[in-house]
Amino acid sequence: MTPAAALQSGLLLEVRDLRVTFTRGGRRVHAVNGLSYDLDEGELLAIIGESGSGKTVGARTLMGLLPPSARVSGSARFDGTELVGMPEPQIRHWRGSEIAMVFQDPTRSLNPTMRIGRQITEAIRQHSELDRDAAKERAIELLKLVHLPAAERRFYEYPHQMSGGMRQRVVIAIALAGEPRLLIADEATSALDVTTQAQIMALLLELQERLGMAIILISHDLGLAASYAQNVVVMYAGRAVEYATARQLFAGVRMPYTRALLGAIPQLERPSHGQLPVITGQPPDPAALPEGCPFRPRCDLATDKCAESPPFLEHEPGHWWACWNAAAVPAVVGDDVDDDGVRS
Amino acid sequence: MTRATNGGSLLEVRDLVQEFAVRGPGGVKGAVVHAVSDVSFEVGGGETLGIVGETGSGKTTLARSVIQAPRPKAGEVRFLGTDLMRLGRRSLTQARRQMQMVYQDPFGSLNPRWRVTQLVEEPLVGYGVKPASARRARVNELLDLVGLDPSVYGKRRPHELSGGQCQRVAIARAIALNPALVICDEPVAALDVLIQAQVLNLFERLRAELGLSYLFISHDLALVKQVSDRVAVMYLGQLAEIGPSEELYRRPMHPYTSALLDSIPGLDPATGEVRRPVPLAGEPPSPIEPPSGCRFRTRCPFAQQRCATETPALREIEPGRQVACHFPLNVVADSVPAAAT
Amino acid sequence: MAIAEATPSVVAGAPLEPPARTWLRRLGIIVPAALIALVVLACFLGPLVLPIPEPTGGNILEAYLPAFSPGHILGTDPNGNDILSRILYGGRNSLIVAVGVTVVGQTIGGTFGALSAYFGGAADTLIMRVFDVFIAFPALVLIIAVAQSLGPSVTTAILALSFFGIPAVARVSRAATLSLREQPFMTAAKLCGTPWWRVLLRHIAPNIAPQLITFAMLGMGLIIVLEGALSFLGLGIPPPAPSWGNMIAEGQASLSATPMLVIWPSLALFITVLSFNLLGESLRSLWSAR
Repeated sequence: MTPAAALQSGLLLEVRDLRVTFTRGGRRVHAVNGLSYDLDEGELLAIIGESGSGKTVGARTLMGLLPPSARVSGSARFDGTELVGMPEPQIRHWRGSEIAMVFQDPTRSLNPTMRIGRQITEAIRQHSELDRDAAKERAIELLKLVHLPAAERRFYEYPHQMSGGMRQRVVIAIALAGEPRLLIADEATSALDVTTQAQIMALLLELQERLGMAIILISHDLGLAASYAQNVVVMYAGRAVEYATARQLFAGVRMPYTRALLGAIPQLERPSHGQLPVITGQPPDPAALPEGCPFRPRCDLATDKCAESPPFLEHEPGHWWACWNAAAVPAVVGDDVDDDGVRS
Repeated sequence: MTRATNGGSLLEVRDLVQEFAVRGPGGVKGAVVHAVSDVSFEVGGGETLGIVGETGSGKTTLARSVIQAPRPKAGEVRFLGTDLMRLGRRSLTQARRQMQMVYQDPFGSLNPRWRVTQLVEEPLVGYGVKPASARRARVNELLDLVGLDPSVYGKRRPHELSGGQCQRVAIARAIALNPALVICDEPVAALDVLIQAQVLNLFERLRAELGLSYLFISHDLALVKQVSDRVAVMYLGQLAEIGPSEELYRRPMHPYTSALLDSIPGLDPATGEVRRPVPLAGEPPSPIEPPSGCRFRTRCPFAQQRCATETPALREIEPGRQVACHFPLNVVADSVPAAAT
Repeated sequence: MAIAEATPSVVAGAPLEPPARTWLRRLGIIVPAALIALVVLACFLGPLVLPIPEPTGGNILEAYLPAFSPGHILGTDPNGNDILSRILYGGRNSLIVAVGVTVVGQTIGGTFGALSAYFGGAADTLIMRVFDVFIAFPALVLIIAVAQSLGPSVTTAILALSFFGIPAVARVSRAATLSLREQPFMTAAKLCGTPWWRVLLRHIAPNIAPQLITFAMLGMGLIIVLEGALSFLGLGIPPPAPSWGNMIAEGQASLSATPMLVIWPSLALFITVLSFNLLGESLRSLWSAR
């Protein structure tokens, strides 16, 4: 299944038709409705989607961080071991040591009443047999690895004494404590300024190279995927709708949804005061998914066939999408939009 | 009050200063946050000025200071010729009639207990538009203008609306009195990309149809450029540079603007080239103890001795381009010493 | 960072929670409310409708009659007064005091607390310090002082207990208003030209009402108990007029011999206070869940 430009290092994670539902307020929410992708060792994969697309739930499934009412089907094999259905004690061992996760708001990820050094050593000692002094040494090592300035001093500081970017570095250091092979960054830079985002992304790239760590970048920002990812999965209404290398995807966007997403982002290169191409409507309610293709009500290519759910297939080598009609339309490169938001 | 015609200055801000006291332990007054320091700019009639800045830049405080909520510590805010700083409460309310604001939090800016029609009607009531039937008619007109069917949405409360719809209601309320200036404080930051585009298009459409001026504040430079004629870049409470949006993007003159542009990820749509962001060094300094001289000097690759001792003033380097830097970049004219590498 | 644009469930018409939980929640409101209604009806209408003897002026020859005696379904007290009658009339007094204090507290305390928070600055400091003085005063001393100077009566009880009611409500009102003040819609109201009194009435009041009402419900129970304590000390409703408090006080003297003299009014007190508390809790969870 691997897209054409896969790294040669070997398959780390294989997700096949992952489906996750859980109960919220008495209703069954279909948060993930068919997610499939591959991840090689040391690869950076971007999972892009808007809120409600299921991208976060999909990632949390890998970590076993789902509400008790969750039902998971499909498969997620990490280095051969099946994660779906893994019992809690085993997942707890995996969490942090094989797969680690970094979340959006560094302020909420850190205990405000605990010194950051202690928060790191706590994580270290959970995944190793190191004693207190050895753990402290390792913690400072990690802080230096994430380029936290004045690491020895900052070891004793509290989160509120640091900026947002520094806090996120600390969170990353904690995530690295167990020496994971995969780091999931769930909107990890969305709460940061763009200059700080550039710093953190540069750090993640460096860690990817130095530690051979794979990274899954979850975001709503296609621009981020374009700049940093090897491969990109686009999700809509809980399912993967397009999957390709970043180069392929942006050289020739296929899915009407991805095209709409790309078109709607303001670009520096476009002149001011233009109209952005928009599509009306909203994503479907995950507790009340319609039959057939979930994007159908908003799609300009929709036909009667779309009442039947399109399969996720490799229509071109290394480029997967789920649409009956996209193959017929030439792939869009860039955007050709006039002032009224009409696509030519 | 007449609306300023094209060319006249609608809003003139001079040397605006806003500071906040930080409470030390035990409630004792501690340090001072220099949120806005000596900011000056103008907005012309029918023009959109974008203000871009990151966390701690003071852009939201600036917006609040312009509307006098709360009043800034010092400076001049001339709106339609009148200095708002000198007015008492009642005259301020009258003078502010032509100035409205759209906020970042779509749900927070609407009273959760009120219905949509009441929310949009509020400024009409506050400024004494009579009779009630005229107000109702105007409310329906406004809701249509922002794309919300009054018969469907009129009776709803904010929690029965989506984020984008709430923002439309907020916009309808803001234009109810035909303001000359609408201040938009990160109005789309909390919205999903596709809805964001819809709301931005609405802003543009209203601008063209009603001849509005905007003061558009955001942390997203591409977004600001999309809607603005001119853009002002803020860093740590001060203006780094102001210029026409296209010019600013193609030829940034302040090192911070350049760094900001370099930090934006994405693709160049024309060439398909991947833009790999270049990170800016250092951490953002604290607005409580800003660096002496030029506040950007601690992170600026071109900083010199002079930058620490002398605060650069915002001056017009070229026609229409103001920069606050001793060694601006990309200068075409030879009136300023070139940047040392 | 982006807010979900999913279709609001309310609009879609689908229920927000399982039917069972809705019913439980409704029960949580209906049952206590019904009990309170029952108590109120019994105390105020009961004596008019049912053949209940006077609560005072009983025949001493009929003292200490046990329950289920003819004409005295709950028996009589040491003075020959019908216990049921005393409970009903006593309930009237207790409830009148509770409602009185609540009304006084909510209007004065609620208004001042909101004003204090809305205007802030010197006004806020002044008002809150005044209230602080009230709270700082040793409670008993204040009550005794008031009761002594005015003489025990229903009005005295209301006045004395208001000394607590007002600052307590003011605190709640102020806190609620403070958090409201930071909301953007308050700044928006200013820009809409809305005058301060309309802001208070139309913006602030509807949004702090849930907290104040919940506080009022929980407070009712507390006030009835406090009134009971007042009467227990002889500073509340003067005998021979009954109140639940003074009935318990009198009955306490012969607790081992005739426990029912204490138990009946205590039961009435318990049911009423419990109902108010439950209602307050249910309302609180109803309004904070939204």
